[in-house]
Amino acid sequence: MTKENLFEEPGLKQITVWARGVYENKEARDVVVAITEAAASEGRFVQAWENYVDLPDRIYVPVRAYGKISDQEIKSKYVYENEAPDIVALTEETLVKGVNILEGIKPGAVLVVNTRRPAGYLFKFIKQGTENLSKIVTVDANSLAKSIITLSGAEGATDASGIGKGMGAALAAAIVKATGIVQFESLLKIVGNKNAAKKAFEMADVVEVKTLVRAG
Amino acid sequence: MGVKKRISGCVATANAVKLADVEVICSFPIRPYTGIMSELARMVADGELDAEFVHGEGEHGQLSVVYGASAAGARAFTGSAGVGVTYAMELYSPISGERLPLQMAIADRTLDPPGDFGSEHTDALCLRDQGWIQGWAATPQEALDLTLLYYRIGEDPRVLLPQYACQDGYFVSHIFGDVEIPDVAQVKEFLPPYKNHHVLDPRNPQIMGAQMEPAMGPGMQYQRYQAVESARQVIEEAHDEFGRIFGRKYAPWVEEYMTDDAEIAIFMQGGHSETCKTVVKRLRNLGEKVGMVRLRTFRPFPTQHVREALAKFKAVGVVDNSANFGISGGAGVLLTEARTALYGLGDKVKTLGFVAGLGGEMITHEEFHKMFGKLKEVAKTGKTGKENFWLPFEL
Repeated sequence: MTKENLFEEPGLKQITVWARGVYENKEARDVVVAITEAAASEGRFVQAWENYVDLPDRIYVPVRAYGKISDQEIKSKYVYENEAPDIVALTEETLVKGVNILEGIKPGAVLVVNTRRPAGYLFKFIKQGTENLSKIVTVDANSLAKSIITLSGAEGATDASGIGKGMGAALAAAIVKATGIVQFESLLKIVGNKNAAKKAFEMADVVEVKTLVRAG
Repeated sequence: MGVKKRISGCVATANAVKLADVEVICSFPIRPYTGIMSELARMVADGELDAEFVHGEGEHGQLSVVYGASAAGARAFTGSAGVGVTYAMELYSPISGERLPLQMAIADRTLDPPGDFGSEHTDALCLRDQGWIQGWAATPQEALDLTLLYYRIGEDPRVLLPQYACQDGYFVSHIFGDVEIPDVAQVKEFLPPYKNHHVLDPRNPQIMGAQMEPAMGPGMQYQRYQAVESARQVIEEAHDEFGRIFGRKYAPWVEEYMTDDAEIAIFMQGGHSETCKTVVKRLRNLGEKVGMVRLRTFRPFPTQHVREALAKFKAVGVVDNSANFGISGGAGVLLTEARTALYGLGDKVKTLGFVAGLGGEMITHEEFHKMFGKLKEVAKTGKTGKENFWLPFEL
């Protein structure tokens, strides 16, 4: 009983969304809930949850929400964090500074940022983990929908304000455009703000990281 | 049939409380159980549930409120976690002594220190011998189901005892899982309205909880002992009925996972058993004869069933997710209970204690893998040597 990597889950996709406490933690949760619900509607195994230690009731602290999607039953069910994300999303752009957002990402991982700035500009601020990053996706989600500020849905309870009515719908759509993690039609059935999602799906700018590296 | 949703253990429990048509709820916030009460508060505010929702001034107050409510004939619900659970310690014995079948949900949290939000069974295990029905849910679905099962068991006239419906904090209480929420008609069939034969009512005055003479003590305690013992048959009947009505068949005492022809097994309770199952399955695919036995009902402890389940193995590793300092065996409560159950079988089944997941730390696949490795060694040599291991330091 000594073989290594006995418990790898090759088909498992991990989504980590970073946000700012209170102002955006609902949107971060909406992104993972909307995408995992869409995946579940396609018959896949899913999990969604918020980081338990990040304290989302403290204003503007970095907080995380997580999603897992797999074609097989999820084995690493009761964990605290996504240790090897395939997708990292930021509900606002300043999280690229001073926060190790790409920690543990898998080779080929994608970063999706709610921002008005171009990917090349943001890329300069990311100091760690870029060697495994394949794409940066930018979308001005704030121009499409506002962040809904509520503590409804905190602590594992039901979010009575609904899913995907705010900026998270746009961010989720950009993720789907860049990664194809679910069918866009599946996502549209889940999110409340379908208009924002559709526009974000058109607007999102997908940039290959290798082109940024070449540009220096 | 019911509705399928992906919800947390907290929301699953709240849905069961709603389906049970609970009449009095008393809350006080403490992570991680808080989500149950915020969900119930929303249900009451939105008119989904008609219940008296009282916000207590603390956990001692919470248990006092539901004590009174249950005495007055109401189906009552409360809950807590960690130091909140122990703050109300005074009330647990009077409530079972008064034979009031109220329910308390516990989403485990460590006691201080370390005082973090993480799960440890230590909080609920402090209450284990107070005459309450007690057991752990391993998934959000089971959290919902335990709530319904326990009201039915506790309110049975042959039992009349309160219940702790426990779930691992965060792991079960906060991560969304697949849950089938049954419909009202099914629940009505399973859980008849609560009727107590002695009710606090000013129109029919009576004294409850009166001071007793020492000479009255043995009889009262013996009656409470008999109530706990008579719960055994009711627990089995309730699980049969539950399976018939809801289609989910739980073993009332111990769930056996891949134990056929197994030579070594883990014995444990709670949510980490889900992780253990994936390890067992993986090792089975590699040809290892391993299995898992999960305790479903902790109080009353199913001594005979545990003995029967564990007697067939060469070595059993008992996983304790609680801090029990100075305890016999040097591990946790479950090891001592398992060894008591195995008493009389001599040295036939070797038992090792594994203390793991303290402070709310995960019990990883690799840790379970190591435990099975140790058990395999013991089964092969027939010798134990060190018998208690605190993970990750000693294994």
